[in-house]
Amino acid sequence: MDDVRPGPGMHSPPRSGSTSASGTLWNIGWRYFSRHLWQSLLMVLGIALGVAVVVAVDLANVSASRAFDLSVDSVAGRATHQIVGGPQGVDEAIYTELRREGVVRSAAPIVAAYATSPQLGGRPVQLLGVDPFAEAPFRSYFSAGQTAPVAQLTAFLTRPGAVLVAADIAYRYELDAGSAITLEVAGRSRSGTIVGLLEPQDDLSRRALEGIVLVDIATAQELTGRVGRLDRIDLILPEGSEPGQTEIEAFLHTVTQGSATVRVQELEARTGATRQMTAAFRLNLSALSLLALVVGMFLIYNTMTFSVVQRRPLFGTLRCLGVTRREVFGLVIGEALIIGIIGAGLGIGLGIVMGQSAVQMVTRTITDLYFVLTVRGVEIPTVSLLKGGVLGVVATVAAATPPAYEAATVTPRVALSRSGLESKAERAASLAAIGGSALILVGAGTLGLPTTNLIVSFGGTFLVVLGFALLTPLVTKWLMQAVRPPLQRTIGVLGRMAPRDVSKSLSRTAIAVAALMVAMSVTIGISLMITSFRQTVVIWLGEALQGDIVVSAPSVSGLQDVTPVDGQAERIVAKHPAVARVDLLRSATVDSPQGPVDIEAGNSSDYGHGLRYLAREGTVRDTWDLVSEGDAVIVSEPLANRLSLSTSDYLNLYTDRGLRWFPIAGIYYDYASTRGTAIMSLSTYREAWRDDAVTALVVRLNPDTDPDQVAQDLSAELAAIQRLLARPNEAIRQAALAIFDRTFAITAALQALATIVAFIGVLSALLALQLEKQRQFGILRALGLTVRELRSLILLETGLMGGVAGALAMPAGFALALALVYVINRRSFGWTLQMVVTIAPFVEAIAVSVLASLLAGIYPALRMGKMAPADALRYE
Amino acid sequence: MRATEGHGMEFVRLEDLCKDFQEGPHTRVVLRGINATFARGESVAIVGESGSGKSTLLNLISGIDRVDRGAIWVDGQNLTTLDERQRTLFRRHHIGFVFQFFNLLPTLTVEENVVLPLELNGINGMGATERAYDLLDAVGLADRGDSFPDRLSGGEQQRVAIARALIHDPRLVLADEPTGNLDEDTGHHILGLLDRLTRHAGKNLILVTHSRDAAAYADRTLYLTEGRLTNG
Repeated sequence: MDDVRPGPGMHSPPRSGSTSASGTLWNIGWRYFSRHLWQSLLMVLGIALGVAVVVAVDLANVSASRAFDLSVDSVAGRATHQIVGGPQGVDEAIYTELRREGVVRSAAPIVAAYATSPQLGGRPVQLLGVDPFAEAPFRSYFSAGQTAPVAQLTAFLTRPGAVLVAADIAYRYELDAGSAITLEVAGRSRSGTIVGLLEPQDDLSRRALEGIVLVDIATAQELTGRVGRLDRIDLILPEGSEPGQTEIEAFLHTVTQGSATVRVQELEARTGATRQMTAAFRLNLSALSLLALVVGMFLIYNTMTFSVVQRRPLFGTLRCLGVTRREVFGLVIGEALIIGIIGAGLGIGLGIVMGQSAVQMVTRTITDLYFVLTVRGVEIPTVSLLKGGVLGVVATVAAATPPAYEAATVTPRVALSRSGLESKAERAASLAAIGGSALILVGAGTLGLPTTNLIVSFGGTFLVVLGFALLTPLVTKWLMQAVRPPLQRTIGVLGRMAPRDVSKSLSRTAIAVAALMVAMSVTIGISLMITSFRQTVVIWLGEALQGDIVVSAPSVSGLQDVTPVDGQAERIVAKHPAVARVDLLRSATVDSPQGPVDIEAGNSSDYGHGLRYLAREGTVRDTWDLVSEGDAVIVSEPLANRLSLSTSDYLNLYTDRGLRWFPIAGIYYDYASTRGTAIMSLSTYREAWRDDAVTALVVRLNPDTDPDQVAQDLSAELAAIQRLLARPNEAIRQAALAIFDRTFAITAALQALATIVAFIGVLSALLALQLEKQRQFGILRALGLTVRELRSLILLETGLMGGVAGALAMPAGFALALALVYVINRRSFGWTLQMVVTIAPFVEAIAVSVLASLLAGIYPALRMGKMAPADALRYE
Repeated sequence: MRATEGHGMEFVRLEDLCKDFQEGPHTRVVLRGINATFARGESVAIVGESGSGKSTLLNLISGIDRVDRGAIWVDGQNLTTLDERQRTLFRRHHIGFVFQFFNLLPTLTVEENVVLPLELNGINGMGATERAYDLLDAVGLADRGDSFPDRLSGGEQQRVAIARALIHDPRLVLADEPTGNLDEDTGHHILGLLDRLTRHAGKNLILVTHSRDAAAYADRTLYLTEGRLTNG
């Protein structure tokens, strides 16, 4: 054939008709989604919910993190170092001496405690006892001309019980200068007067001040019962201050006659450990929120795949007409991009709304478990919103890429053949099962790696879940073959047809089943983890709670209570006729070379007998003898994990007599805190720290006495000296479990959201699946299937798919629970949980799966039932 | 004029059948009072142009669509008095359907497609499979039982559809343009097959077609024009 070239006067053929062609392609995409409006809306909703969960959790985490920083900064200000003094604090004479000697230019004494006030809504606030003359370099509240006018300052210094609060908080509770206020710290009340309102210049300071009440040092000492003592002395040492620090250490050594308790240390070292522990908690939340997005992604993948397989003949025709692979790929990705942007946009809005409650839950948990957050409020940083939005769009496009590739690369001949697709799906099912098994093994191997890296651990967990998802198509086929004979025997021809339809349409059904399976396995896994955790805590509380009644000062959080009980309390309690024995307990936070360590020192001769040990020296009795009669300690599992301690090691603590090595006699299971605790005898503690204070009285009652009644009597009798809480064991148990439930409230909320995302996804997938079969249903009707039989067939098919998803979710959920209980929790929080398997989560998963599937079947069943077979046959 | 011939025992009778379709604000009248009778064992072709209402008439006779007015009697049973479920069961037991576009279920194999009406009648197992293969043998596709429909040519798919229409031994076979999608040679082959299998089994066949060649296979031909049935 001759080469034809355009001659003079001839027009060159257009190089491409891409503009109009792409317009037509977009029309095809647009019309598909507008004709399947419900499917499109459900897809957008699925993405929106996934993004909303991520945004809400991120907002909660950022807000909590910011609240943590502000809470720390509001108290620490610009201090770089602190002089701290162990459980009893620092003698105020040291501060006087420090100023007199001129060892350091900037030093400020601080007495700090958490207080509540009925006039301030009863929520915890940071009570800060300060010396206003020393404050200027540290905190700006008293800077000249900025916040507190001279009149207020004078009143603050001269008037007994003078209090300064932030203007914002005063207005919120309708207070003003001159208002009376009652402050309560550790059961001691003190009336005061607001002598002025602090009005910080910038927003940051305003938020930092939100949780602070300022009083003078003497008032704070009186309220906390620590007259003559300071909690710490803040210092500002210049950068590279080693010489300055050494000089201060030498000074302290001299004035304390060699006590190691009073020490100077960098501020970051003190807050770092807490920050690290809350980081693990926040990472867990982020991982859980990502799980919701992963479930959402799976469902997007499912929906996009479905929209592609449904249009395979269309793509085949387009390819036959000369549409390039790139154009088909671009069309599918473009559709995903648009849906992703709409879904992510809605998700961001929803996330901001959901973030409000998430922040409350997260800050409450951090206050319960780690650190009292006096600053609240939701931060809405643009970065969080952008992150959630981009993640949603990227997840949508990523999930749409495999189906887009499939649409673009399939040959036009195969694209038009349904059996080609199903044969391919069947072959893929076997390959996917092999791949899935491999992923489960790799995931399990990753979880078994001796690492504490949480990201690696979550990676392993995701691999296991993904592995199970890949097993779904083959298992669906097998299960359908297995249920066919019994179903046929019981319900006849429909029992034969329904499983056959499911297994013969794997290209459509497998991914929907896998998506539902993943969502349900997450539900089972998290439920089992929470149940196991709760049961472990219940058992542990039974063992760890001593005595019948515990008397202690009220606390603003679930953290270890270090507030001393009045010295007369023991005598008053012991006098009660129902009381058989009173043991003393001192809880304190002391310093170690690795940061602060919580200790509990008691004089009970048998406390250690009731504990369960992970490791110990000899028998339980031997171990406890080493503690009660010697100077050994037992450490809790989280502390042992955090500081890498074993029974052959020593726990190094700064005592009044210098750094001391305490031999470790055992490691016990404990779920009271993630920081961990060391237990020692009261005599060892008193000898090491020269501190006679007691923070709790553990009361044992005579037989046949009513703990509630005795607790009431004791509270009433003790009220004269200090408002102390006398709580029966049962009340403490309930309080501990309430904290537990609060801690997991957000986890359960995330789990519920993941389930809702799955529910919507499955609803949309199965709905589309059934509507696509309209013509097939028309044929069946023409062949003699009654309306009722058709409805039953549709519901049976969707129900079977839900049942398979639920059945597969059981082993997958169990595997997830094992990973969460034995790996993630241990690596995040340092404690070993006992796995408790209850039937409820499994039944729930099956029920939700089948319910979602049946619901998805109801609409098509009703619609098909109403439609004349002739109309159904006309459906394309 | 009644398009009725009086030979043999009457098997199907159509009385004043009317059917309209609502298309937006407009009503399209498709059938305007159809009257006809078909004798037992008779093979009748109904010829009409595209859009003349042939398929609608067949849908009414099979009960997959409802009449607006009139009555349909099949073997003494007035189908228009039956409810939806009864009509469906009647179709299941007594009617075989061959469609223009074959309408095989794409996810079922040839054998499974053929066995389906038997399954709906509660018959399955070896007996059903044997009967399916007998019929597939009769239509020349005994070796394609495991194939999926889209692996077959149009003619082969229509032969499968014929086997499916006959497997439950219906008394009435309705064929809606069975050659409309096939080339001429294949069309003749299919019509010969349909004629042989129905006529020899003493079944009634109502064949709607636009082709006079196709109509030649029937015992007699009726014409559907402007919603009315005539003898020509």
